[in-house]
Amino acid sequence: MAELVLDKRSRPKAGKTWPKPEGATNLREYQVYRYDPDTQENPRIDTYFVDLDDCGPMILDGLLWIKNNIDPTLTLRRSCREGICGSCAMNIDGANTLACTKGMDEVSKGAVKVYPLPHMPVVKDLVPDLSTFYEQHKSVQPWLQTKSPTPDTEWLQSREDRAKLDGLYECILCACCSTSCPSYWWNGEKYLGPAVLLQAYRWLIDSRDEATSERLDDLEDPFKLYRCHTIMNCAKVCPKGLNPAKAIAEIKKMMIERKVA
Amino acid sequence: MKTHPGEKGTGTFIRQRVTGALNIVFVGFLIWLVVNLAGADRAQMAATFANPIVAILALVLIGSALVHMRIGMYEIIEDYVHEPKLHGLAKTANTTFTVIIGAIALVSVLVLAFGG
Repeated sequence: MAELVLDKRSRPKAGKTWPKPEGATNLREYQVYRYDPDTQENPRIDTYFVDLDDCGPMILDGLLWIKNNIDPTLTLRRSCREGICGSCAMNIDGANTLACTKGMDEVSKGAVKVYPLPHMPVVKDLVPDLSTFYEQHKSVQPWLQTKSPTPDTEWLQSREDRAKLDGLYECILCACCSTSCPSYWWNGEKYLGPAVLLQAYRWLIDSRDEATSERLDDLEDPFKLYRCHTIMNCAKVCPKGLNPAKAIAEIKKMMIERKVA
Repeated sequence: MKTHPGEKGTGTFIRQRVTGALNIVFVGFLIWLVVNLAGADRAQMAATFANPIVAILALVLIGSALVHMRIGMYEIIEDYVHEPKLHGLAKTANTTFTVIIGAIALVSVLVLAFGG
């Protein structure tokens, strides 16, 4: 059966409550998932208190404040801190998002609860192993494929055809959508997931690409595409406001048109 | 058109949608049938099913509903049952159950339509 509950060794236990910073009066509590693969211990939830008078307004600011001032062993990915790189995707207050663009004031009152992206192997603390996700992205061959002779200048595209890529090219591959999708949780090895399928559609719909038929052939499978059951978590959590479910529906339309034509 | 080993992905999807749409339409017929036959005895039921339109619509509804049911359960099995032996057993049970229910329903309608 699909694993509907975590096994005993993966269940988080209560962790350490770190002392409140001395002299600070404006505090925000953080409850953060901690896991160290080098120990044999279960994951734990550590509690920290962030001095808001000494910290930026975003969740990522709070996490970095903890790392810099309380616990340097806290491990997380981050880079651009402005919603472009997708590195700091994590589960905050019960929903996947980017820590750098999520304000502490957007999290309902009480502790800020921070977990790694769900249902992925954890490398350490808030860092998930995205190897399978990247392999799946590679599998859709996300680059322009042509058969016509290469033009002297660039491959031309009308404004209308270019507009078809809007809502697709903006994806930053943060994996918030895929890891929020129950179908991806249960069949993550075989179902490509919303992020990768959105990328697949980005190349399917590109007027310059000449491998449409081969791309559709590759998706013709009970699992790669058709595990999408239009649950829509992907569209709900996408930090860039994209709609992978719509892209998947468009691929299904292309499949049907091809089949009945 | 190029064929592909895994082509039943799209075929299954189309069958699921077509039977789903058919079922919506045929629910109206089913409601009409149930309301019409409420409190009816066997002779009245037989008279209703002796009408070839009613019998044919009933058979189409049964076929459509069973195909849709089997696909729905197949999807659930594919999603949640991963252990190979149990997976195969569940799929076989799903098909067997559908065939048995379909055979009973088919015989029932035909008996009413022709046998009275």
